[in-house]
Amino acid sequence: MDRSLFRITPSGASGLIFAALAFTVLPAIAGSYWMSVLTSAACFTMAASGVAFMYARLGMVSLTQVGLMGIGGWVALRLNYLFDFPFEVNLILAALATMVFGWILALPALRMRGLYLALVTLMAAGGLEILFSTFQFPNGGVGFWGVKIGSTDPFRGPMLAQTPEAFLRYVIGMTTLGFLLIEAHRRTAPGRAWALIRKSEAAAMAAGVNVTLYKTWAFGIAGLLAGASGALLAASLGLLDDGTFRSPESILLFALAVVGGSRYWLGPVIAAFLYRILPALLNTWGVNADLAYVIFGIGLLHALITAPNGIAGQIFEAAQALTTKPRGQK
Amino acid sequence: MIAPHKVEIDQVLVRFGGVVALNAISAAFTAPIGGIIGPNGAGKTTLMNVISGFVTSKGGRVVVDGQDILTHPPHKRAHMGLRRSFQKEQIADDLTVFENVLVQLDHRLGSPAAKRAEAERMLEVVGLSDRADIPGALLSGFERRLTDVARCMVGNPKLIMFDEPAGGLSVEETHALGDLILGIHALTGAQTLVIDHDVELISRVCTETLVLDFGRRIAFGPTAQVLADPKVKAAYLGTEDIA
Repeated sequence: MDRSLFRITPSGASGLIFAALAFTVLPAIAGSYWMSVLTSAACFTMAASGVAFMYARLGMVSLTQVGLMGIGGWVALRLNYLFDFPFEVNLILAALATMVFGWILALPALRMRGLYLALVTLMAAGGLEILFSTFQFPNGGVGFWGVKIGSTDPFRGPMLAQTPEAFLRYVIGMTTLGFLLIEAHRRTAPGRAWALIRKSEAAAMAAGVNVTLYKTWAFGIAGLLAGASGALLAASLGLLDDGTFRSPESILLFALAVVGGSRYWLGPVIAAFLYRILPALLNTWGVNADLAYVIFGIGLLHALITAPNGIAGQIFEAAQALTTKPRGQK
Repeated sequence: MIAPHKVEIDQVLVRFGGVVALNAISAAFTAPIGGIIGPNGAGKTTLMNVISGFVTSKGGRVVVDGQDILTHPPHKRAHMGLRRSFQKEQIADDLTVFENVLVQLDHRLGSPAAKRAEAERMLEVVGLSDRADIPGALLSGFERRLTDVARCMVGNPKLIMFDEPAGGLSVEETHALGDLILGIHALTGAQTLVIDHDVELISRVCTETLVLDFGRRIAFGPTAQVLADPKVKAAYLGTEDIA
């Protein structure tokens, strides 16, 4: 009986192979436009993994994830212009600061469930949207907000990844680490506690689970992933625009995580593909990128009607059906 | 024989708006297995919810081994050795049987290997060793109930409460469950309280029984004596009130 933390499941193996392929192949074949699209998609994959895990493991709907990315991006930019820390330090601090914000966001979550929780998180996203559009993102100015008119000061990227190709690899590596962080939690005590909380909070409490602690913890991890992805997005672009972090974007990212399949690693990848790569593809083909919204709607209806585990669920179920021998065959 | 823990319910009062759900209930359980019976709406589950912390009482105490547990939040009570099962067995579908048991031990100090060994031992006791790696979603109703029982037995419990554990089980399954409940005290040292409508199960496993009706205690004592009490019969059969 192998129940170790490090066992490799077929789904996990496919995820690691996918990450390795993306790491080696994508930066080698993409041009500068697609490099930027893929880097952004990798950042949003990490952010989507945060909402997907909260929904899949705890049944909690968070509609603030893109707003939390904005916080991570803001902190990373602010630290970049304020101190001479290397990017890695800024990345860690931005992720931690967003994790703390995630904990603060968890306060109402401890009292609310379902639709009410979703509404509270949406309100938080709305508040962040107003803050970002009012104060903008730091670009090298002075004062607390660090905003100046005119050209933006340079942003220090990671020392390991100074070229766009290397940076895409860096983001894919970080996103993979994010997935591994979630999986490590799922396989240990927090994962067991979350599964029981999702089943019934009363049952979880009766089993000695501190429901408040573990719900807060989950919000913290979702915040950590959002903060890191926001900091990476800031490093990728060198500056951030408030339009990226509007509250409808958080709703869209959550909906796409459901369409993709929140229970599987592939779900957030599909979500980010639909969110970032599909509109870019439509642009390349000369089709209005707003068509993507129609496709999102169809995808959501598809998920609601026929695919409770999302597109990823359908793919993994089909793969399982293909690899499992029919009864009676040896 | 391990000395049983003493569970004392003292003047527990619960009101839901104008309804008195538990009217100053008192009972001191000293036998290894006690029962709580009563017609629907008598307050049995409410009493269990007070003991486990899901309902706040307006007054009274529940003392386990000299310690009033009502001042602690539910998960702390579990840490103190309180266990309970629910009318509908609460097994997480996406955890394996083994993980569903292990979750009860996660908050305890100790080596992971020892916790795993204990979970495996209790799964063996309930007869689910060969199903340990099956996800909860694939279990039958009886297997889910057995997983629940195994979860209640791990982690050095002091008091285990089963809320209608035989609900939905066949006669054979109820008998097997009764055997398990009878073995709990010798195996873990825990005291057990069983709520059930199945009087046969109660009379078989419970040494002493508390009978509730409309939130009032109408009898408490040795099970056979309690079941023969005319007031208890009246409450169950709905005959005229006997003063």
